[in-house]
Amino acid sequence: MRDKLRKWREENYRNSEQIVDVGEELINEHASKLGDDIWIVYEQVMIAALDCSRDDLALTCLQELRRQFQGSHRVKRLTGMRLEALERYDDAFKIYDAILQDDATNTAARKRKIAILKAQGKSTEAIRELNEYLEQFVGDQEAWHELAELYINEHDYAKAAFCLEELMMTNPHNHLFCEQYAEVKYTQGGTENLELSRKYFAQALKLNNRNMRALFGLYMAASHISASPKVSAKVKKDNMKYAAWAANQINRAYQVASNPITQCRLPSGSDGTASGGWHSAHVVRSDWPRPLLEELFQCYF
Amino acid sequence: MTVIKLSTQAYCKMLLHAAKYPHCAVNGLLVAEKLKRKEGQPLIFVDCIPLFHGSLALAPMLEVALSLIDTWCKENKYVIAGYYQANERVKEHRPNQVAERVAARIAENFSEAALIMMDNSKFSMDCLEPAVIIFEHHDNKWKCRDTNIDCYEDWSEAQKITAVLLEGKSYENLIDFDNHLDDLRNDWTNPEINKAVLHLC
Repeated sequence: MRDKLRKWREENYRNSEQIVDVGEELINEHASKLGDDIWIVYEQVMIAALDCSRDDLALTCLQELRRQFQGSHRVKRLTGMRLEALERYDDAFKIYDAILQDDATNTAARKRKIAILKAQGKSTEAIRELNEYLEQFVGDQEAWHELAELYINEHDYAKAAFCLEELMMTNPHNHLFCEQYAEVKYTQGGTENLELSRKYFAQALKLNNRNMRALFGLYMAASHISASPKVSAKVKKDNMKYAAWAANQINRAYQVASNPITQCRLPSGSDGTASGGWHSAHVVRSDWPRPLLEELFQCYF
Repeated sequence: MTVIKLSTQAYCKMLLHAAKYPHCAVNGLLVAEKLKRKEGQPLIFVDCIPLFHGSLALAPMLEVALSLIDTWCKENKYVIAGYYQANERVKEHRPNQVAERVAARIAENFSEAALIMMDNSKFSMDCLEPAVIIFEHHDNKWKCRDTNIDCYEDWSEAQKITAVLLEGKSYENLIDFDNHLDDLRNDWTNPEINKAVLHLC
């Protein structure tokens, strides 16, 4: 049980119901066997309890932690989080401000203040504060990602792309950032962005060839480019090739999953349209020559 | 004005989707049977397909989903007739830009398309109050319907079955399109849950 909790903690899962179930049992029945681990379990269970509206459990954990670590900023932050859960945002703000007066570099308290703004629906202020935070703490990946999400929700795709670029620079092997960046570029639209989008979907696929979103994205981007009236004949032909390749890979992936729902009738490359117009997919060779694969995956980094 | 009715299965799955991801915004599609309706015959949303959770404002996967689900609909004599969304914040139940855009796109293919927003504040384990608000397209705007009009095929059945499924944590097994993209074997038609609903009817 403690291994499960440790895994969830390390990988930052938000499966709060499960954490409460497992954690509550662990605390009530096996507290003595945990030794010093119990404090970190209390913290994890407390946060999960807040997520599940289990204020009783949250308070119990908080009180144990307060008793053990009197005056600790880390525990004060948990007190603040409980107030947030009770929607007593002004009181929570006061606690975080007090922590920051004591220790201006306390990142946790600053992030909680931003979280409050988000909870209150004040997206513009949250974005502004997060930008200021990132000026000071440039390496905070979690914050960059949060900012990207905030921008996406505000439909400010250009700025979201910028945040994801920061993340890709520091995490060049992370296929998820690549793929999300490609999605943002696709959403921005226009031939240039679609081309970039296709390249980044291809890069994501190169980093993880089982990323279905990247494969679908590659198909969609290539299809849209080849259907665009503004591109040259060569670009059109190339993209039809890429789209056909992707369609074939998608069909194979479905066959492997033997998913009965979709016989996967994706539009063929000749029509190019990715939405209306259904034709059965081209039968394409699955053994594309190596040079084509490299061509597909060329990215300008 | 079209009379709209939500089937128990559609209502159930919408709520299960929202329950599975309480900290995220969720959205999905509603389907109706493709048939010629006579004057005064209600539009029944027979099923719902949960789509995404978390980030709803990105286009590519939404387009993929609309395409694949459209094909599935054609094979099963359904038509995509509506869109639902539950916002991230409890008190926020107004349709945002994403909701309006997707619903407008659906309305291009199906003129009586409805936009359904979940009222998170009315969402509880015992489902005593109906938790949806229906919007209709009038003059390019989405206008809220009178919430007093009954829009359920059978409210007491919907209420009871949803409460039972929530209690039993069936939402843990609900599959949305995001789950399908993570693993193609995950079936977004949710046959197991459909069976469970039928069984309880």
